Amino acid sequence: MRQLTRWGLWFGGALILLAALLIGVDVLLRKFLARSIGGADELSGYALAIGSAWGLGAALIERAHIRIDSLYLWFPRWLRSALDLAGLLLLVGFFALVAWHGSGVVLQSWTSGSRSQSDLQTPTVVPQLLWIAGLILFVLVGLHLLLAALTGLRAGDLASVARLIGTRSAEEEVDEEIQALKDLKSAGPS
Amino acid sequence: MLLSTLLILIALLALAVPVAAGLGVLGLTLSAIYSKLPLSLAMGEISWATSNNFLLVAIPFFVLLGEILLRSGMAERMYNALVLWIPWLPGGLMHSNIAACAMFAATSGSSVATAATIGTVAMGEIEKRGYSERLFLGTIAAGGTLGILIPPSINMIVYGVLTDTSIPKLYLAGVIPGLVLASLFSLTVLMICSIWPRLGGQPTSANWSARWRALPDLIPPLVIFLAVIGSIYAGWATATEAAALGVIAALGVAAVRRRLTFAVLLLAFEGTMRTTAMIMAIVIAAYFLNFVITSIGLTGQVNAFITGLGLSPIQLLFAVVVFYFILGMFMETLSMMVATVPIIAPSCSKPASIPSGSACSLLS
Repeated sequence: MRQLTRWGLWFGGALILLAALLIGVDVLLRKFLARSIGGADELSGYALAIGSAWGLGAALIERAHIRIDSLYLWFPRWLRSALDLAGLLLLVGFFALVAWHGSGVVLQSWTSGSRSQSDLQTPTVVPQLLWIAGLILFVLVGLHLLLAALTGLRAGDLASVARLIGTRSAEEEVDEEIQALKDLKSAGPS
Repeated sequence: MLLSTLLILIALLALAVPVAAGLGVLGLTLSAIYSKLPLSLAMGEISWATSNNFLLVAIPFFVLLGEILLRSGMAERMYNALVLWIPWLPGGLMHSNIAACAMFAATSGSSVATAATIGTVAMGEIEKRGYSERLFLGTIAAGGTLGILIPPSINMIVYGVLTDTSIPKLYLAGVIPGLVLASLFSLTVLMICSIWPRLGGQPTSANWSARWRALPDLIPPLVIFLAVIGSIYAGWATATEAAALGVIAALGVAAVRRRLTFAVLLLAFEGTMRTTAMIMAIVIAAYFLNFVITSIGLTGQVNAFITGLGLSPIQLLFAVVVFYFILGMFMETLSMMVATVPIIAPSCSKPASIPSGSACSLLS
């Protein structure tokens, strides 16, 4: 599952990089040669929609979704685990609803064969399908995590629940950041 | 209606519900209580329209830009150059920290990226030169907040999109407060270290030839700043297009330093999309909440309430600052802004409230 969401990140990142290159080239062409590729803005919008949908799952697994933990940190562990579960349920639930209503939008694009109002005339159903697939992946990742956390809970292993779905402490984050840089430094040329 | 909205919001966030879910659930709840039609029917359209908003494309661009710069070694060289140029004040390197943060902030749209980048470079100096750890780290944490204040800024983009404010104007509004804040940080360090010289560490020395030799290391940040900010005011590019130019410039800097490998790119992708997805989740939920709040007429109520207070613009601004000051002690900046802006901004419509919001959160 983790590997799958990582692929999602790479996929989205590549789309965003392509979008940046496309727009950059477009700006320079416009400035110096007074011509435009056309449609760069539309395509990069799709890249954002698809990329962020495909990144949601990884953000969930790596506990990157922001939670306000000022009070949370003062609670006893069992309450924290209960809140972890409730928070996860609400987040996955909300985006499941988004995915549900989103698929309505996709279905409508499909049946009406709608195209974007631009020179590209993109069939809107194409980017929308990729977008909705990312959202569905997120919901699946969420359910998977929920099951894993419930299993941990039944075994009474609150520590593992916290590792799966608890908030990340600031120290944890800084440590990871520094570790990543160190790894890079020892691997690459200086 | 206003009171119950605030209570539900506070309860959800205080119970550590993820901010995106908190905003979304608040929207659904308000719709269920106050609306005749289930407003969730519009969720699909709103989410899709928000997700491919061209203005928001600037967000992943800025994150990607930061991720590439972080791994390009640019910050390290910039910091070392600044160390050579600003060693003589009481407090020594701590002024370099602040200057480096301000300079990096001018290339980066994020506070976390700014603090993390400068922090990793500077941290080793604490023990080496006997600085007070708390004060030294304080300069980096405070300097980091310049990241979203000095343009470019991810938070300003989100604010601009949520409130229909011109992003170039918001950028302009951030420059002077950013520089003033940086000077104030330096002044604070100066005062503390004049009173307790012990905290200031050993002074560094530098000769002029080393200084001149290090000067070219300040060029890459300048290039990126020109690409990201200069291109907007030169009339070449919109905010999003400028961000794309920034990504290309950052790729160039990394390539010149021979740090642009496939592995580096993949790592940058991971960091970029994780952060982007997190921000977009919040923005999508905020858009939906915005829609609900407008539909049920809450905006009008807030307006009436604030007008009823009979405050002058200055008093109102002061009230907003106090509000964000208190909130900033508990909440992270972006979520604080997104959660409150749909409710507050229509009534104040001041770009000033965003620099004040971010400035206050630094005291948290």
